[in-house]
Amino acid sequence: MSLTTRFKCPTCGADSLAAVTPELLREAAEKGAVRALARCPRGHAAVLTVDQYGLIRSALPVREQAGPDCEVTDKAPISVRARLATILEKGAAADADVLLLEKAKAAGWIICL
Amino acid sequence: MLIDNWGLFLLTRELSEVLGGVRGLKLFMQYEQYKLAAAARAAVECGADCRRPPNDVIALLFDIARRRGVLREGCQVADVPEPKKPPPQITAEYFQMIDDIVLDKICEYVAKPPPDVMSGEEASAYYQALVSAPFYVAFRRAIYSKLAKLYKYSAILDVGAGTQDPLDILAVCEMHGARCELTAHEVDQKLCADLEKLAAKYGFSVVCGWERLGRYDIAVVQNVLHWATDPLQVLTAARRHARRMFLSQGVVEGAGVAFVMTRILGAVRSLSWKEAEALAKQAGWRLARRYAKYPDYLALYR
Repeated sequence: MSLTTRFKCPTCGADSLAAVTPELLREAAEKGAVRALARCPRGHAAVLTVDQYGLIRSALPVREQAGPDCEVTDKAPISVRARLATILEKGAAADADVLLLEKAKAAGWIICL
Repeated sequence: MLIDNWGLFLLTRELSEVLGGVRGLKLFMQYEQYKLAAAARAAVECGADCRRPPNDVIALLFDIARRRGVLREGCQVADVPEPKKPPPQITAEYFQMIDDIVLDKICEYVAKPPPDVMSGEEASAYYQALVSAPFYVAFRRAIYSKLAKLYKYSAILDVGAGTQDPLDILAVCEMHGARCELTAHEVDQKLCADLEKLAAKYGFSVVCGWERLGRYDIAVVQNVLHWATDPLQVLTAARRHARRMFLSQGVVEGAGVAFVMTRILGAVRSLSWKEAEALAKQAGWRLARRYAKYPDYLALYR
């Protein structure tokens, strides 16, 4: 049986839930704390530090490939620059954003290394 | 008058609120008029003859400008001052998009057709940015929730869905705690491929082309007809597969420069509300309720 524990997404601040398994608690009791990977409802990944009581001690953002390695180019129109920059910085909040990123890449509005 | 049913605007409260109420809507319209005049003036200054427009895009611009009283005899463009207040926050990106797509390139459109000015990739990226813009999302969700009441229907067919419409329909269903079975229909192969990516995650089906459609409680035809080479065929097919139809179509009576923008992005025609209604009747639909004539023709058919 798994328990759930709450954490705030370090990328977007969304209230999120993470599963805490008995194995995780056992490991935390042995080592003092363990790390686990979780995702918020908007899909941002976070590394959680969980103690033996199942409490989240810290939640750190995971740098994902689509984010910091991409940047908005001068070719991008002014109207969508701010939106593209936000998506690249905070991650896609919705699937429409993922599609926009794909199309923006094809149009040369963003480049990724 | 740019809107024929103010009560409807108040009914779609969520939209009204994000626009800043009636004052916000008036400010929005002032900006529309200002941008339209700026576009018409730029086209004339770039050498376009308003009596013999060089192509469809400029012809549409002049037609709308005439309808809105901005373009007068002898190709004179009315002096429309820029509103003093900034546009409603949620529409800022939309007006900037009008600048990017229409105003900044107007001289190029006078000289050559849109595909020679903007690449297909750019048009596709602009389309995605437009349909997922906060203002447009708020509009669709408001009409689906308050007018069409789509959450009441279990089997919904989204005709010519595009990439954002299905997400908005499902969001409205979820907002009302309803479980809607949605089929998103498309004819554009690229859009179909995009829809397939979304479908698995959101739990809706995709039908590409007119074959394989089933039977549905309601068909949603939202701003599809101006993209269609044969709008009558779209409405006839919807009639064949659905018991009711919610038709939402931006029409030329209330059109602003956004119409020119969608024409640049690939739309093929503009319709009046009477034409939209006549086509629906010709396709065998019976008008159950007309919510508004313009700027968006909104009606429920049986």
